[in-house]
Amino acid sequence: MCTTELSNADVVTRTDKPSADRTLTRAPDPAAAELRKTMGDALVAVGKHRDEQAFALVFDYYAGRIKSFLMGKAMNEDTAEELTQEIMLTVWRRAESYDPKKAAASTWLFTIARNRRIDYLRGNSRIEVELDDEILEVETTENDPQARYVADSQSAATLEAALAKLPQEQRQVMHLSYFRGQSHGAIAKWLNLPVGTVKSRIRLAMQSVRKELQGETDALDRDDFLDSD
Amino acid sequence: MNVSHHLTDETLQDYACGSLAASMETLVACHLTVCAHCRLRSEAADQVGGVLLASAEKSAMRTSAGDVLAIRAARKPAVDPQPDAPTLQPGIPRPLARLLPKPVSQLDWRRVAPGIKQYDLGSEPRGKGAFKLLHLAPGLVLSDHSHIDRELTYVVQGCYTDEIGTFSTGDIADLDGNHAHRPVVSADAPCIALIATQSPVRYSGFFGRVMQRFVGI
Repeated sequence: MCTTELSNADVVTRTDKPSADRTLTRAPDPAAAELRKTMGDALVAVGKHRDEQAFALVFDYYAGRIKSFLMGKAMNEDTAEELTQEIMLTVWRRAESYDPKKAAASTWLFTIARNRRIDYLRGNSRIEVELDDEILEVETTENDPQARYVADSQSAATLEAALAKLPQEQRQVMHLSYFRGQSHGAIAKWLNLPVGTVKSRIRLAMQSVRKELQGETDALDRDDFLDSD
Repeated sequence: MNVSHHLTDETLQDYACGSLAASMETLVACHLTVCAHCRLRSEAADQVGGVLLASAEKSAMRTSAGDVLAIRAARKPAVDPQPDAPTLQPGIPRPLARLLPKPVSQLDWRRVAPGIKQYDLGSEPRGKGAFKLLHLAPGLVLSDHSHIDRELTYVVQGCYTDEIGTFSTGDIADLDGNHAHRPVVSADAPCIALIATQSPVRYSGFFGRVMQRFVGI
């Protein structure tokens, strides 16, 4: 398949066309698209101009949601409130490094909230790739069909639609993993399902999401996973 | 680097959710350093987190944006800590290099069984999972073992082969309780592997049990 020849332009055409060629894809939600733009612009304004009103916009939309995220992961309300304040301060301080071409505002905020939570719980930072590592593998990026879905706001729209399309059972395990901080074993117990079933739902969900982002059957399934459910 | 064994979606998702221990995160970050393919999959998992956050229910905040900015004004300016430049170690991803006081060849390896030396990276008590570098002699056959929960192995140097395939530098073996395997180190060079487990490994067979006591994994 000629996945690598598709350019960004193809992706744009695909999502802009209101579901004519893909009957299952919902037309992009205008409210969600508006929100993404507002939040992205606001973060840029905070970064560039220390714009307090723009900060208030981001705060009013996201602070309460970040607090929910923390409380869902078994943090008591007082701690969650305080940590959310710290997270929002980090957002204020680091907004300069936000690049709307690289990430949707939602992704950027999620990673800050997640990382600050880890700092708080563990007392040391999340271990991440260092992008200036001499041995960082970059070559394959351009040839990888996935490279087209660089995390910009365009793909956020596609991704939102992809998540909305998932079967309820898959959406449920995704939600529990991200918002309840439960291990797959705990989710399985909670739902009274075998762990293998939970894992395969996660795998199926992630595969559908990526497939949607790539716009076609992916080459990922070549991975050497032995589990079969 | 020609990487052919990747992280599973379940592990990438746990990494995105912030549910992995620091030891597991180190292994994931090592592999992501040398595998652009998994790095993109990892970004997709972060994006999912963003979309779910944007559509989450809101909890009531007791503070406003103005309060938070006032807190900030009253404080000394915070500075994000900059990690020290790690000792450069050719071919070793930084997340691991940061944990090593010396080049791999000069580490204070501890001999634990014939053909097996190890260097401990974690101070977790036994039973909570292991985090260590293993130095395995050429041709070594490891005992059959399986895992109660997750085990990640990142090949730092050399290679080994088991029922799943051949694992070389940069590859990651992402296994769970369903796997029993019997790795054999390639005959021409030692294999250095970074491993992290979430729970003790179960060895089968007498030698396995003896080795488990020594290796403590």
